[in-house]
Amino acid sequence: MSTVKGSHILLRHRDNPALSTFEGYIKDGGFKTWKQVVTRMTPEAVVNEVFDSGLRGRGGAGFPTGLKWRFIDKNNWPHYVVVNADESEPGTFKDREIMESNPWQFLEGVMLTAYAVNANVAYIYLRGEFWMLAAELDKQIARLRKEKLLGMKLFGTDYELELHTHLGAGAYICGEETALLESLEGKLGQPRLRPPFPPSFGLYGKPTIVNNVETLANVPLIIEKGAKWYRKFGTEKSPGTKIFSLSGRVAKPGNYELPLGTTYGDLIMTHGGGIPEGRKIKAIMSAGASSTLIVADDKALATPMDYESVPALGAQLGSASIIVIDETVDLKWLVDKTVHFFNHESCGKCTPCREGTYWMNNITQRILHGEAEQKDVDLLKDVAMNMKGKCLCALGEFATEAVVSSIERFPKDFKIKAGAKTIAGELKVMHD
Amino acid sequence: MTDAVKPNVETTLVNLTIDNVPVSVPKGTLVVDAAKRIGIDIPVFCYHPKLEPVGMCRMCLVDIGLPAVNRETGKVETDKQGRPVINFGRALQTGCTVEVAEGMVVVGYTEKVQKARQDVLEFLLTSHPLDCPICDKGGECPLQNLTMAHGRSDSRFIFDEKIKLAKHVPLGEMIFLDRERCIQCARCTRFQDEIADDPVIGFEARGRSLQIVTYSEPGFDSIWSGNTTDICPVGALTTTDFRFGARPWELQASASLCTHCPVGCNTTLNTRREAKAGGEMVVKRVMPRQNEEVNEIWLCDKGRFAHHYAAKDDGRLTGPLVRRDGKLVAATWEKALALVAEKFEGAGKGLVTLAGGKLTNEDLYNLAGLAKARGGKALLDSRMAGGDLTAQVGLSTGSNLADLGKGDAALVVACDLEEEAPLWWLRVKQAAERGATVIVANPRRTKLERHAAFTLRYEYGHEAALVTALVGSFSPKRADLPAAVQALIRDKDVKDAGQAIAGAKDLIVFYGSEGTGLAESAALARACANLLIGTGHIGRPNNGLVAVWDKANAQGGWDMGLRPSADLAADLGAAKAAYIVAADPAGDSPALAEAVKAAGFVVVQDIRLSATAELADVVLPAAAFTERDGTFTSGERRVQRLHPAVPAYAGLRGDFAVTAQIAARLGVAQEKRLATGVFNQIAASVPAYAGLTSAALSEVREQWPVIGRGDVYYGGTTYDNKQGLGVQLPVSGDSPALTFEQPAEPAKFKGLKAVPVTRLYDRGTTVTPSAVLHPRLPGAFIALSVEDADKMKIEPGQKVQATLNGVTVEVEAHIDNSLAQGVVLAPRSFGLAIEGPCEITVKK
Amino acid sequence: MANVIGSIAALMNGMWTVLKQGLEGPVTVQYPEVKRPVHRRFKGRHFLRRYENGLERCIGCSLCAAACPADAIFVEASENTDDKRYSPGERYASTYEINMLRCIFCGYCEDACPTQAIVLGDNYEMSFTDRSQAIYTREMLLDPAAPDARPTPQKVAPGSFDRSIPDMKDPD
Repeated sequence: MSTVKGSHILLRHRDNPALSTFEGYIKDGGFKTWKQVVTRMTPEAVVNEVFDSGLRGRGGAGFPTGLKWRFIDKNNWPHYVVVNADESEPGTFKDREIMESNPWQFLEGVMLTAYAVNANVAYIYLRGEFWMLAAELDKQIARLRKEKLLGMKLFGTDYELELHTHLGAGAYICGEETALLESLEGKLGQPRLRPPFPPSFGLYGKPTIVNNVETLANVPLIIEKGAKWYRKFGTEKSPGTKIFSLSGRVAKPGNYELPLGTTYGDLIMTHGGGIPEGRKIKAIMSAGASSTLIVADDKALATPMDYESVPALGAQLGSASIIVIDETVDLKWLVDKTVHFFNHESCGKCTPCREGTYWMNNITQRILHGEAEQKDVDLLKDVAMNMKGKCLCALGEFATEAVVSSIERFPKDFKIKAGAKTIAGELKVMHD
Repeated sequence: MTDAVKPNVETTLVNLTIDNVPVSVPKGTLVVDAAKRIGIDIPVFCYHPKLEPVGMCRMCLVDIGLPAVNRETGKVETDKQGRPVINFGRALQTGCTVEVAEGMVVVGYTEKVQKARQDVLEFLLTSHPLDCPICDKGGECPLQNLTMAHGRSDSRFIFDEKIKLAKHVPLGEMIFLDRERCIQCARCTRFQDEIADDPVIGFEARGRSLQIVTYSEPGFDSIWSGNTTDICPVGALTTTDFRFGARPWELQASASLCTHCPVGCNTTLNTRREAKAGGEMVVKRVMPRQNEEVNEIWLCDKGRFAHHYAAKDDGRLTGPLVRRDGKLVAATWEKALALVAEKFEGAGKGLVTLAGGKLTNEDLYNLAGLAKARGGKALLDSRMAGGDLTAQVGLSTGSNLADLGKGDAALVVACDLEEEAPLWWLRVKQAAERGATVIVANPRRTKLERHAAFTLRYEYGHEAALVTALVGSFSPKRADLPAAVQALIRDKDVKDAGQAIAGAKDLIVFYGSEGTGLAESAALARACANLLIGTGHIGRPNNGLVAVWDKANAQGGWDMGLRPSADLAADLGAAKAAYIVAADPAGDSPALAEAVKAAGFVVVQDIRLSATAELADVVLPAAAFTERDGTFTSGERRVQRLHPAVPAYAGLRGDFAVTAQIAARLGVAQEKRLATGVFNQIAASVPAYAGLTSAALSEVREQWPVIGRGDVYYGGTTYDNKQGLGVQLPVSGDSPALTFEQPAEPAKFKGLKAVPVTRLYDRGTTVTPSAVLHPRLPGAFIALSVEDADKMKIEPGQKVQATLNGVTVEVEAHIDNSLAQGVVLAPRSFGLAIEGPCEITVKK
Repeated sequence: MANVIGSIAALMNGMWTVLKQGLEGPVTVQYPEVKRPVHRRFKGRHFLRRYENGLERCIGCSLCAAACPADAIFVEASENTDDKRYSPGERYASTYEINMLRCIFCGYCEDACPTQAIVLGDNYEMSFTDRSQAIYTREMLLDPAAPDARPTPQKVAPGSFDRSIPDMKDPD
């Protein structure tokens, strides 16, 4: 039986480093579930177990995983599984740790998913910078093939499965599932129109399940220990644990696997060791660069981090990459950084995002270099508002979140002082 | 199979309300199209009714609501007044991607929607340059029009921050790209991919750096490239031909036809008076004119750019020339015509008239009439046969290639359709995409094969044998068939294709002139007719035989009673007087040049001094197609009319009028004033044309998609058809009998066998005067099989000496790996002496 | 009596006016040797202006012709190259003609011009003995290049004048 200590379901290697080796993982009972499932369970039973566990997608949207699997079009074959390992959100670094240090559990999760949706091929789409990881994964997949855990006629059944890794070319937009599929097909990474959604029209026009690395890493233990066991963690509507990538102005940044429902205060102050040098916390970015800024007051710090409570703060849980901002940070600088990022990463397919991010970047640059007037701040907000609700995919919406929320919730930072030529000098502390 | 429903005809109607106007449209219609049908304009940039929707420009955002349905009862909820409760979405939706639904409410006039349009336009204009004054699209620009209608009156973007990009990028020799003006709507790339199946341009990079690049070498290597400039909603793509030629509002438009191939694309000639041309009216550009039954809204690059042969330049003939002391010198019309009449009178029955296939029906009628009245021969300058069969089993009234779909079949035999009749290639390809079974039979690989359900290969010379084998595959076995046919019948693909043909609801057979001379063509046409008769695919719309003629109006020529000569050299050589109109036999073949020299008295009537005219005793000038009235009959047997766009040189008339003036001097009365007068005579005397009137040719119906209503953003700058869709002729009433002629065995040669093929861009007299096409015109070439090239150690691109019919030409060697050993492709109209299959020697 | 005095007064008054006018200078001028200055907003014969470096302002956009209510202007455009450059940007007017018999000197062309290339000057001395003389060509209308500027066409460094409206500032 796989050993679980505390709330470490995904980051079990922290308790047992041997898990990163094939032998260590086997010793801990790894791939027993895989054999069990292929020889004894029907795909429907696997889907039902995951559905009952209440597992929700960890990529950001939080869509129930079992439900997504049920949506797959059973009148159209073949089916594909695509793993979204294009971990590009600024401040997110959880998938990398899973794939680096606990790869076998992740791969077993991918295999179980493929079995559950009757796919014979699964692709792992990694961001281009993960080329070393891809090389490792290729070796590990080759090992699985050698151990007869992958390939034709698995365990004597008729089921066959192949895994492939695929490296992206460095575009953030390819983290969006339809753009990822386009890129995987060899085309320009631009999102498709939705609907149709990938479970009915995905890779090469065939039904495809696209899931995040972290989501699938949960699957082996859910199948092994059952949905009921899984539901012991987390909250009623957001069961399980979640890896929170903590970064920014905290004493101890890093990945923390905690049950869903842990409060922001608990994560930042207890686990993260609070803000260094006795400074005060000012704001929280709850989901990397694409999130709104939460005013870090007592109410926010007491809010549990799950898919239901965070939206009450006017924010999203997203991929749970928490960036802590302290009182010395000028949000003009922060907004410029996020806008610059989205301007660089916009795919250019739809007008508001392509032109809007470019325009906003011009304005934030002017604001940052002291060449702006107060009306430029209003213009910035207006441009962002004009983008909202008009873009083809979510990236365009994300690009506006930090801009609008900062200007609305932290108006002091956006008071342009008359005669203040540049704030670059005030920002020295930023660049250390 | 026969009861299959046409997939593109959707009968279920859906009721919805757009801007408070109720409308019923077929299920599956998009909201923008539904609005267009009732005259409500939802602005678009990336959407085009001929392309798949992508929803990327976000210009068509509208508020869309659906009736609220009670989950328990499944019924639509109503308010107190009994009206259905409508749930509108939180965000606006793109009208170009949403299909209509029962009870749907679409709203475009609210402040929210108007604001969205304003915002999207503001975004577009942040990067779009303000150079409308020098932009070729200025005046017919969707972005300009929509900015005036929906845009802000002020600019919030700082001008100095505008992006600076390359403004003069030659995508190819014919198309220029202005990167600043491009609004990334992808219409051009999608057209090349979806419609033209030539994905040679595409996007590169991302975000604000997203830009159009070409993947091909040479750049933008597609014969459809000009169409992208029509559908480009800004001035990003412009043609070399028209670049800075005029402002759109200065142009006059007149309806015309393309005279390059038998499709008969409807065109609009844009003209303007020009100081550079000495104050003459000049054709500035050729634009497609919508005819959904012929060319839809497209035009190939040859049709668009190869119009300069009709231009009034130094090469045009402006007055009659008469040979005096061995030289052609200017003469008056009176003297020239008197001389011609005198000589024709003397020739008696030895008069031979040879008519070019780009003459109008009126010209052909008068020419044939003159020859008949004098007891001479009326010959058509064509190397294809079967015009009599197409009159019997050709397409009949009401046929439209767009109607072919699931359950229907199209057979294309001995024809590289994209090179010989590009628009038919496009429409057959679209039929295949709608589910029609397309069967391509050709000895070598052609582009249409990508869309074919069956690809049949045969040996050059076995064209008729193959079609006979198709008949044989479903008819009772006949032992008397030749061995070649028997062998083909045993082929599984032939058998399957034969079954598909026999079971097809509608069948259209296209036969071309790939590898055939006149004799082979006649056998092929006969076999194709047999196939259609044998399977009962005649006498109904969308069924029948289409000849992919080598000349635009060859069908008209056959209908007017002219016939191609079985031995043109002998006929011309024996002529006491030859009257050669709009044909250039001497330029086509050295053997024919000798025949022209041998002829007694030669009169050449043309618009330019051709090689034949150089040998003539009298040269008579005529007005070009841009300068005159007349009708053409397309390969689909559609009679269409062209109108004069520019005035002719003083004293120049249409060919029919010149012929009539000669005829008058010989005592033969012919109409010499009005082309419509001749047309009325045709309608009275040619049975197939009975009852036709000019008024009938000018009839128009509303066409879908609706274009050209001034909202150039919806369909592009293609012209609306207000001048007539033409009339498709009925097939003759008598039902022809199945006649089996044994297909002859092809001639065998000791050495290599050369077969003629047709290329779109050739070096004929109607192409070479257009300098804009020169970079794309290949030099004279031959194509060898891999085996032959290896044997002779010939590299692709190498110069070799090719000898055909005793004439040696230096040509470039190409290698076609789909070609059988022993066969050499020799293109027509490249100076190679080839009329039918013949022997060729190739030397390094 | 009063009548007589009144008559004399009127006579004297008239004489005084004559005397006063007689002492003033003549109002007529010796045209054409002497010319009266015209009003500041006088609209006379057109000029096509140049930039300081000698390039022509006119880009051949034909907007003047479109604006002209008398249809007096005719423009034909051609494409610039860096070896033979007439104006900034891609397009220049290779033909520019104004028919002065048609022109009504309304100045709409001046208003329509996006580069301030065409201006109506103070020259009103136009007389023709032949209709064809009334057609002013591009060469007649163009200002001569400044003494320190090169005439057109110029050979310029590639990419130095790639925009037609070079000096346009932020609209607000």
